Amino acid sequence: MSDRSLPRLLQTPAVLLLLVWMLVPLSMTLYFSFIRYVLNSLRRPEWTKPAISNWRGFGNYEFVLNNKDFLLAIQNSLLIVCSIIILTVVLGVFIAVLINKSFPGQGIVRVLLISPFFVMPAVNAVLWINMILDPVLGLQGLAIEGLNQLIENLQNTPLLGNFFSLWPEFEPISFRATQTSAYAVIMMVTWQWTPFAVLIFMTSLQSEDIQQKEAAILDGAGAWSQFRFLTLPHLGRPIAIVVMIQAIFHLSLYAEIEIVSRGNGNKNLPYLIGEFANNNIGAASATGIIAVILANIVAIFLLRMLGKTLME
Amino acid sequence: MAIVAQTSKFAKFARPVLAWCVGLFFFFPIFWMVLTSFKTDADAVKPAFLLFFTPTLENYLNMTENYDYWRFAQNSAITAISATFFNLIVGIPAAYAMAFNPSKATKDVLMWMLSTKMLPAAAVLYPMIFLAKGLGLYDTHILVITVVSLINLPLAIWMLFTYFKEIPKDIIEAGQMDGVNTWGEIKEILVPLAWGGIVSTALLIFIFCWNEAYWTVRLTTIDAATLSKLIEGNRAPEGLFFGRLSAVSTAAVGPIVVLGWFCQKQLVKGLTFGAVK
Amino acid sequence: MGRIVLDKVTKSFGETQVIPPLNLTIEEGEFAVFVGPSGCGKSTLLRMIAGLEDLTSGELHIDGADMTAVSPSKRGLAMVFQSYALYPHMSVRKNIGFPLRMEGMSKAEIDEKVNAAAKSLNLLNYLERKPAALSGGQRQRVAIGRAIVRNPKAFLFDEPLSNLDAALRVGMRLEISEMHKRMQNTMIYVTHDQVEAMTMADKIVVLQGGCIEQVGSPLELYKTPKNLFVAGFIGSPKMNFSQGEEASRRGAATIGIRPEHIDVLSEAGIWHGTVGVAEHLGSDTFLHVHDTGLADSITIRAPGDVNFKYGDKISLSPREDVIHKFDAQGQRIE
Repeated sequence: MSDRSLPRLLQTPAVLLLLVWMLVPLSMTLYFSFIRYVLNSLRRPEWTKPAISNWRGFGNYEFVLNNKDFLLAIQNSLLIVCSIIILTVVLGVFIAVLINKSFPGQGIVRVLLISPFFVMPAVNAVLWINMILDPVLGLQGLAIEGLNQLIENLQNTPLLGNFFSLWPEFEPISFRATQTSAYAVIMMVTWQWTPFAVLIFMTSLQSEDIQQKEAAILDGAGAWSQFRFLTLPHLGRPIAIVVMIQAIFHLSLYAEIEIVSRGNGNKNLPYLIGEFANNNIGAASATGIIAVILANIVAIFLLRMLGKTLME
Repeated sequence: MAIVAQTSKFAKFARPVLAWCVGLFFFFPIFWMVLTSFKTDADAVKPAFLLFFTPTLENYLNMTENYDYWRFAQNSAITAISATFFNLIVGIPAAYAMAFNPSKATKDVLMWMLSTKMLPAAAVLYPMIFLAKGLGLYDTHILVITVVSLINLPLAIWMLFTYFKEIPKDIIEAGQMDGVNTWGEIKEILVPLAWGGIVSTALLIFIFCWNEAYWTVRLTTIDAATLSKLIEGNRAPEGLFFGRLSAVSTAAVGPIVVLGWFCQKQLVKGLTFGAVK
Repeated sequence: MGRIVLDKVTKSFGETQVIPPLNLTIEEGEFAVFVGPSGCGKSTLLRMIAGLEDLTSGELHIDGADMTAVSPSKRGLAMVFQSYALYPHMSVRKNIGFPLRMEGMSKAEIDEKVNAAAKSLNLLNYLERKPAALSGGQRQRVAIGRAIVRNPKAFLFDEPLSNLDAALRVGMRLEISEMHKRMQNTMIYVTHDQVEAMTMADKIVVLQGGCIEQVGSPLELYKTPKNLFVAGFIGSPKMNFSQGEEASRRGAATIGIRPEHIDVLSEAGIWHGTVGVAEHLGSDTFLHVHDTGLADSITIRAPGDVNFKYGDKISLSPREDVIHKFDAQGQRIE
């Protein structure tokens, strides 16, 4: 059709903008990754300006790959993202099935449930690490203290007291330590994204074929069988979508990590980049390029696998 | 939706109880935050699980007076509204082209757009700062709005595309037979029929733009700084400023949560690209 | 006005050719019906004439002008869709007036024409309603109204009655036929229902697998079908076919005889059989007869008061002058 070309042209601004947005900063990063470029240097002031004369070849990459934190950062990135996805999907499915059938106040419960999703990530992190998980002043601390108090009281009761005196005193967990801060991040992001998964799954459940269920009941299927053979397959596509969307958003998780782990050694890839960027732009850029490559691999993998389900 | 003869008495009782527990559990941190915002800083850290206290507005007053809250809030609003508007202006034609006149490359283009969101922002931070400073755009509204728009543009296009695709093909064809040109098609048929979708997209994009924290913090100092910067500034209390912190957080987050309550359905539709009915 | 010529037209979707080279002329003022089973390409052909599908090769001429590459809006044609395709957000008045608005007519003129069309279609009381508040038949009329106001060179109908219930369908069929007699425009009508084809058409185009099997008036197709396919497609109940002795005796590979051309009242028929299911409609009786030696089952249309029952023996007298003969390739033998 001769006048199909005009409508097609309408997508050009969007495509161009995104192309520029992707290519320009990225090519600069690429350039920076191959030169020596630092923010402050006493010994070599010429390295504080980006210049082709500071060409270092793959030196920055070597530096980064050999950095002891690098492997840790990648592992952490993967650990955190995978944990969040698994937790949100599992919790999401169960909660969705739970609240799917109507009961008094279902609407309100839904509203309560989805609220966490709209909270700013920075607020999310600050809220959790300080007010909830803080070992002394946060709710966690208070809860543990309360628990200890309770046990102490129980220890003083006759008879039962002996049983409880065997119980240790619980130490509140500090979530700012290297390992535990990863758990803190997983917890807070799971809290934030499970509602999203629940919403998606609930919507999908509403299109379940009732007649199919009734036929299954007549065939003698119990609740668990129905879940396993009817509900779960029906949720296959939404689960794929939830996984994909979360992978997109969580691989570049930054705010939460930064706020929780400031300086304690726990880092993921974006955070590592940020760290390098405090001074060594060259190294930061090299890490950035590596992160982009990794992200693209994941993207291609995921989009190939799941993209078909989306586009039908 | 009742499959009769299924629910045992126990299940009938346990389900709502369990559901309410889950709902309250998830909402609790937000509730706690809002509650704490009305406590004095001292009250906020009293070791007891304090539910009963004398509420005070001192944190909010403090915040609006001392922290220049309104400036940050205004910037957040300017940024989010402009970015949303921009995304609609650019996104509607793009989504229209892809939905009504798809080519073989359309699917790939859509997927590529989505993949730009996977770009770790930290990887291009320094070049961006470099460019921004070089072009004299550092800490300006223009820059922040542009960046925040582009981050969310793929999402906007995806959502609009999904809604546009739902318009029945034969209505479009009827329009063609009736002599509409491209502009007419968009104005007379597309926008009225997809209006709900356009509004939903706008709402969601607004929420994401408002919540954006990475670029808004690092590309600004004073002039264009948004509420996210205010949060960042308040984020390392030594445990004594919970009250204040909660107030700032509630003020930043409150309106958005309420907005989110109103557009849950659209959220699902848009974010899952219509694949989940 | 409204002479449409298709010249060596083909259509392929990707690698698959769905319409091999096809030639067809539709004269001014004709009511032409494209009919055939699902997937025969009738809708595709219509859409190609409308401009909603491209021609893979070949040419399309409307009133002598080459319209092969012209966009739908500029061909001067109007189409009525199977699903009516009304604009849900516009009132009936706005729906019907829409094409005129696109042409840039003045508001006064538009109102005049819309009112005229609405009057002729009995829609005057519904002008301010939206499509959702209309019944199926009313929506159909709005779709037709939208086509009428444009005073097109030709009307294109894409299975317009398929979504209506049976009673409405009969009524609308008459209305469309009357419309044609009054307006004298060229009309191209696509349907899979051969009853619609027979009752409405000046010229029927029977399609199968993208190819034209036969073009002719309804009676032509009924009396002299060119091949087995057309013979079996036109006429309800279907024509009876027999291969074997009776066929070879008459010099053909297959013979065909219509159910209404077999008499059952005489005892001296040349064929004999056993009655299977007998369907009594009151006006007619359809008898399904077995063990005739001609075919598994022969269908016969008999007068309504005939009372053969399951298992009765029956004697059949076919009218020799209307036995159709076909050769081994399925083509008609005179």
